[in-house]
Amino acid sequence: MNRYLVATAGLSLLGLSVTACGASPSSSSTAPRAITVGTLYSGSGAFATSSQPQLAGLKFWISQENSKGGVYVGAYHKRIHVKLVTYNDQSSATTAATLYTQLITQNKVNVLVSDFGSVLTAPAVTIAQEHHQLLFDPTGTGTVFFTPGNKYIVLTALPTSGIWPAPLVQFLLAQHISKVAILYDSNDFDASQAATVDSGLKAGGVTPVYYQAVPSATASYGTLIQSIKATNPGAVLEFGYPPNDIAFLQALRSSGVHFPMVFTAFPGQLHQLLESNVGQAGLSYTYSYGFPPQLAYNTVNEGLGTSAFVQAFAPTDPASVNFLDIAGYQTGLVIQAALRHASSLSQLALRNAVASVSGSLNTIDGSFKIDSQGGQVGELLPVSQLFPSGSTTKIQMVYPPASATHSAVYPAP
Amino acid sequence: MLLEYAIVAGLLFGVFYAYLALGLNLIFGVLRIVNLAHGDLVMLGSYLAFELYYAWHWSPLLAIVVAVVPCILVGGALYLGVAPRLARAQDPEMMSLVLFFGISQVIEAIAAFGFTSNERSVSANALGSHPVGILGQAYPVTWVVVAAASVPVLLILFAYLGRTRLGRATRAVMASPDEAAAVGINVRMVSALTFGVGVALAVGAGSLAVFMLGGVTPTEGVSITILSFAVIVVGGLGNPLGTVVGGLVLGLAFQLTLTFLPNWASLVPYVLLLAVVLTRPTGVLSRARRLA
Repeated sequence: MNRYLVATAGLSLLGLSVTACGASPSSSSTAPRAITVGTLYSGSGAFATSSQPQLAGLKFWISQENSKGGVYVGAYHKRIHVKLVTYNDQSSATTAATLYTQLITQNKVNVLVSDFGSVLTAPAVTIAQEHHQLLFDPTGTGTVFFTPGNKYIVLTALPTSGIWPAPLVQFLLAQHISKVAILYDSNDFDASQAATVDSGLKAGGVTPVYYQAVPSATASYGTLIQSIKATNPGAVLEFGYPPNDIAFLQALRSSGVHFPMVFTAFPGQLHQLLESNVGQAGLSYTYSYGFPPQLAYNTVNEGLGTSAFVQAFAPTDPASVNFLDIAGYQTGLVIQAALRHASSLSQLALRNAVASVSGSLNTIDGSFKIDSQGGQVGELLPVSQLFPSGSTTKIQMVYPPASATHSAVYPAP
Repeated sequence: MLLEYAIVAGLLFGVFYAYLALGLNLIFGVLRIVNLAHGDLVMLGSYLAFELYYAWHWSPLLAIVVAVVPCILVGGALYLGVAPRLARAQDPEMMSLVLFFGISQVIEAIAAFGFTSNERSVSANALGSHPVGILGQAYPVTWVVVAAASVPVLLILFAYLGRTRLGRATRAVMASPDEAAAVGINVRMVSALTFGVGVALAVGAGSLAVFMLGGVTPTEGVSITILSFAVIVVGGLGNPLGTVVGGLVLGLAFQLTLTFLPNWASLVPYVLLLAVVLTRPTGVLSRARRLA
């Protein structure tokens, strides 16, 4: 009986001591062996070309941190090795939904990062919220993801898509372009950009002459271009994903139709891909958003600046570095800052830590600043234009004037 | 103006759709199997055109010719290799679906490995640099050249089916394999040859699809198979002439929807497919008017 009492008391004491250790996250004895980062990527399908560089950027951040002995975790006052868990969602939102759940419930990742873009981020938003897991969202910019009731999402590498076109709207109004045609894919990402431009132009007294959604799978634009041409626009804005932009610019070129201004979203992000498909002639004098690395940020207080990143990431082929490589790396930098400042590894502690660095983090992607809903509001995207340069094109910032590296050529020759 | 443009565009696309789906329908007509790898073969044809143009500086259209002999040989050999096994299966039709689904996945994986997942497209300049005027409106030269290249292929195939001994044997097998065998036709060899021709048609159409479908990626096969299936259901399953009718109907419907209801365009193949299945299951051209 005595032995039983002693054993019970001993176990109780052991339990108390374990609980005490758990309550003191600063004790290195309870620090996890690794910080597990879980994410998805598209090995195939429509989003593969965008998803894979984003993953490459995240992997680069992990390799950089692990080469220093791991990422610094403030709660334990030590560096901890970063372990990456990835699954291939094959560009399928349905598959992604299953795999996000698996990352949270089976792999029990410390940090959850969503795949590229709004389509593949959409399932993660609700799943993360249900499981009270903070979602680090690199490029899923659909405005519907950021709601007052959801504390479990942070947009890391881009502004919400409703904000993207703000400089573009100002540019159109500054150029006094009164007839604007807007063609967009019917998904959150593109629809929110189109809606922002539409409302911004209307606020400036300009009603678009053509405002039309098409399915995201659209590959044939010839007839649509004729419909747009019939409205005689001064600017044509096409909001789609890379396959849409490629098909649209190809169709425009082969149709022989010329518009004074053509804007597409992805030449600024995936310049090399677009140029290899559309060619110099198809891209010259078109407009896009301005992104790093063409938009350089070398004065930073977290991670590498643009030049250093490009040199370290692709020393033998700097031209191959695109924005999505940087988006993946930028997400790592935000995770890094959160882990440094968080009081524990709990998801809300990480969320609070992200909020605490908001506005003070200057990175390769500009000023990192989030609103109360986790939406990114610090990184504005200037308007860029692609100019012929030898046998290729060069991206120059043309608006706003503070970011401009070149004057806009309007109408396009 | 827009209506005229959409109609002409629909006809140009319709001829291409007919070529795109013809291989699928020919194989179905003779073998009574749905080649679920059809779209992946089209995708391979697109990559062939891409390589011919950029690696060899040949016209991408040459892929139509270059592909014929190798495809007939490979397709025929594949058929001869798998047909006896399928015949021994308890449910050969279901097994053929599973088999070709597997082949589809293998082709897609190999293509992703060999060509990466990046979009690839062939410059429109490969087929000409100036738009073509038709009825006072300018059309992309790619559309016109693709339609012009599709027409002779269709004519040659119909001449083969209607005017040659082997073609008539093929039609006999389409009508009734047992009766064809009874009159001395080597059904197995005709089937193997037809399978090879179907493969060659799919790969050849791929060289044009790269222009009409906005480029090529390893994963486009499924959507092309669905599009082709819609064409042959609308026109008439197992009816090569019906494929032309189905292609034109789909091309016109698709372009008119793109012009007047763009947001609904992706529904066109499925709506037409459902409409035909519910109202005229044999397709627009019924068996009584079959050429084959």
